[in-house]
Amino acid sequence: MNVGVAHSEVNPNTRVMSSRGMWLTYALGVCMLHIVLLSIPFFSVPVAWTLTNVIHNLGMYVFLHAVKGTPFETPDQGKARLLTHWEQLDYGVQFTSSRKFFTISPIILYFLASFYTKYDPTHFILNTASLLTVLIPKLPQLHGVRIFGINKY
Amino acid sequence: QKNGVSNGTLYKKTFIEHFEQAPMYVAVLTFLGFGVGTIFGYLRDFMRAWGLEKRNIAAEREQQKDFVPLYQDFENFYTRNLYMRIRDNWNRPICSVPGPQFDLMERVTDDYNWTFRFTGRTIKNVINMGSYNYLGFAETDVNALKTVTIELQKYGTGVCSTRQEMGTLDKHVELEKLVAKFLGVEDAMVFGMGFATNSMNIPALVGKGCLILSDELNHTSLILGARLSRATIRIFKHNNMQSLEKLLRDAIIYGQPRSRRAWRKIIILVEGIYSMEGSIVRLPEIVSLKKKYKAYLYLDEAHSIGAVGATGRGVVEYFGMNPDDVDVLMGTFTKSFGAAGGYIAGKKDLVDFLRTHSHSAVYATSMCPPVAEQIIRAMKCLMGLDGTTQGLQRVRQLGKNTRYFRRRLHEMGFIIYGNDDSPVVPLLLYMPGKIGAFARRMLEKNIGVVVVGFPATPITESRARFCVSAAHTREMLDKVSTA
Repeated sequence: MNVGVAHSEVNPNTRVMSSRGMWLTYALGVCMLHIVLLSIPFFSVPVAWTLTNVIHNLGMYVFLHAVKGTPFETPDQGKARLLTHWEQLDYGVQFTSSRKFFTISPIILYFLASFYTKYDPTHFILNTASLLTVLIPKLPQLHGVRIFGINKY
Repeated sequence: QKNGVSNGTLYKKTFIEHFEQAPMYVAVLTFLGFGVGTIFGYLRDFMRAWGLEKRNIAAEREQQKDFVPLYQDFENFYTRNLYMRIRDNWNRPICSVPGPQFDLMERVTDDYNWTFRFTGRTIKNVINMGSYNYLGFAETDVNALKTVTIELQKYGTGVCSTRQEMGTLDKHVELEKLVAKFLGVEDAMVFGMGFATNSMNIPALVGKGCLILSDELNHTSLILGARLSRATIRIFKHNNMQSLEKLLRDAIIYGQPRSRRAWRKIIILVEGIYSMEGSIVRLPEIVSLKKKYKAYLYLDEAHSIGAVGATGRGVVEYFGMNPDDVDVLMGTFTKSFGAAGGYIAGKKDLVDFLRTHSHSAVYATSMCPPVAEQIIRAMKCLMGLDGTTQGLQRVRQLGKNTRYFRRRLHEMGFIIYGNDDSPVVPLLLYMPGKIGAFARRMLEKNIGVVVVGFPATPITESRARFCVSAAHTREMLDKVSTA
């Protein structure tokens, strides 16, 4: 039972990404990452952009598509234990605004990275591969799908 | 927001409630705080897993390491990494009665809150802003409690029987009559436990095929009672009458989900004062909606009985309404009366039904007599039946304290949630770091507060909750607000 809790929301994880200020925090976080990478003198601008893209996609993959369950106990006897955070968003309803935002943001980052790397082939392959790792799990057809049984339990 | 003209006739006085939103930078900093906490949590977990840091939490025995795990260790993440760091702000042992001031046992920790030890000293006269001591009846004045001690000698501490077998004593009958008279209804029934009053009686009142419309922020006891009753539960946005009306219309138009039959009963579950928000229910509008759509209303006045209203009779009196309009009046004696237990009041047919059909009447022991006597004494004092005006003075003092405290905090620029007249004052803290810092700092200044954070509240709205009491003097409130 959610004793001692101020709301009747069964799984607060579903509402975190649509809370007020989350999108802005996320955008600021990405900008901070990029500024830090740009300020390292060894990296040229294309390298910094590709690194931003890759690190951002890596972080997004780990936190949204790899980690399963909730960091707190929920009163629904663990319905969300085998679900990643992306699958938990809005209780599985597809195409809500948070989902759209987090699908579009790696694409925008990809466009910017492609532009600033002047469409160089190596950078292109890296960026595209990284974008695919983060876009494919977001497809509604892949809701709850675990390929080759990876990350099933 | 003040009410517009369309509701001008329903409310006899202005209903001022605010839930001010914090500026955006505060929300961003809150998320950054949680983000940093999460990253450090992962780091510490990593160090613990690789043996670089000591593991303080309970571990399974060697023989059990091959078994299927009972708990997922990620579910404990917040408890391990965030809650443990600020754990010293909760469950503090007290060693005096929780009146307006109390004594705390001093405890220190050597290993960052994993274990505590008592130093043996007590911190005296800590101002108590956490107890639900609204009317100040949590006192140890021997003269006032004389009747209670007499009853204790006469009846003993426990009634070892249920209401239906041998547990209905004359004290219960006297108390029930008094409660009914206090509230202005036909009859009442008292139960030994406030939480159980909700969770045992809602299943008796509604069943399968009924519809429960409950507020978003209802207490766990109401939610548990609703779930146990096997009725369909639909949730409307907190205190939002448009949401409730839409749900009511949809329920009546579309009926039950697949068979489209009419619902057997539609009952609206609301609370008088919501303890985490400090908001008061919009009772006139709900009553007019209930009359229009012919639904039942269950009002849980756990925090509002004794605390609001000109003579302390709860939200029904606060809005100047007729208690017959509310079908089931429920309340607890824990908060304003300094006792334990709950009651359900209403029409005589309803209460007689509950006497036979309530789970608590059949299986649970009844309220113990000294506690019943304490409630009788407190209620008589409130109603003025003991010959003094002390009850009315307490209610007035609480009102004055509430308004003064809220105005002071508002002037100082803090964001306070809730209605201007509710004695529950949540002060928004937002950032996770502030939760621990605020509570500790207040303790250094000899003030005890209750703080709550995620996941008990929405992620950006951690708060400190003050409960104003009639026993607080103005100096105490000044001290708290300037601290």
